[in-house]
Amino acid sequence: MPDSNPFAVFATACVVGVASGLFGIGGGVLLVPLLVLLHHFGQHRAQGTSLVALVPPTGLLAFITYYRAHQVDVRTGLMIIPGVFIGGILGGRLAVGLSALHLRRIVACILFALGAYEFLGPLLR
Amino acid sequence: MHWAFVVALGFAVGILVGVMGIGGGIIVVPALVHLFGMDQHLAQGTSLFIILPPLGLGALSVYWKKREVDLRAGIICALGMLAGGYIGGRIAVGMNSARLGSAFGLFLMFAAILLWRRSDAPASTGAVRA
Repeated sequence: MPDSNPFAVFATACVVGVASGLFGIGGGVLLVPLLVLLHHFGQHRAQGTSLVALVPPTGLLAFITYYRAHQVDVRTGLMIIPGVFIGGILGGRLAVGLSALHLRRIVACILFALGAYEFLGPLLR
Repeated sequence: MHWAFVVALGFAVGILVGVMGIGGGIIVVPALVHLFGMDQHLAQGTSLFIILPPLGLGALSVYWKKREVDLRAGIICALGMLAGGYIGGRIAVGMNSARLGSAFGLFLMFAAILLWRRSDAPASTGAVRA
């Protein structure tokens, strides 16, 4: 059990929060590896702790900022939510029989290619 | 955009989220931009809306039973993310879409590296991450 320094953890979470608001994501993808690398959490404990952090709507203030700027498509969002929830349960069960490592690496490649495209695209135009 | 297609997209994202135990937002944002032709800001705002409900609650109960949760650190992280999220949101709204898209691209590449490198935690815990 790591004796984590609460101030250091808070500072880490603030950085994750900035990325969350800046890029419209939950932040788990950043919080989990940072808890492991900086605060010496085990992988499972980092994931469980990240899930606790995501129970309250931590993106609420960021969401309100986007909403005020008219940058939220509520209707499309509402149609996506049930699928994510049900798909998530199915995906969790699928994970038992599937090689999560391979799938994760395939998705990592796709995300990297997409990221490179989005990063370089405006520069090339 | 036909509603059935939108629902199917959510379903596909959910499966990836459940299998890999990663955030849905990182997949939702590029999907909204590239499949639905949304503007970068609109896609990010919509993603933040989607992840407001605690979609990872089911997965949390699994981790909780295995005593793999640091409640104190989790609460501290939630507070930090709430504060940081406000700052990040303010910065993003003030940026132009093309520059924000580039920054998001950089972040995607970084996240992809983290995803690739992550030690393989057994997925049998059914990590459903919101």
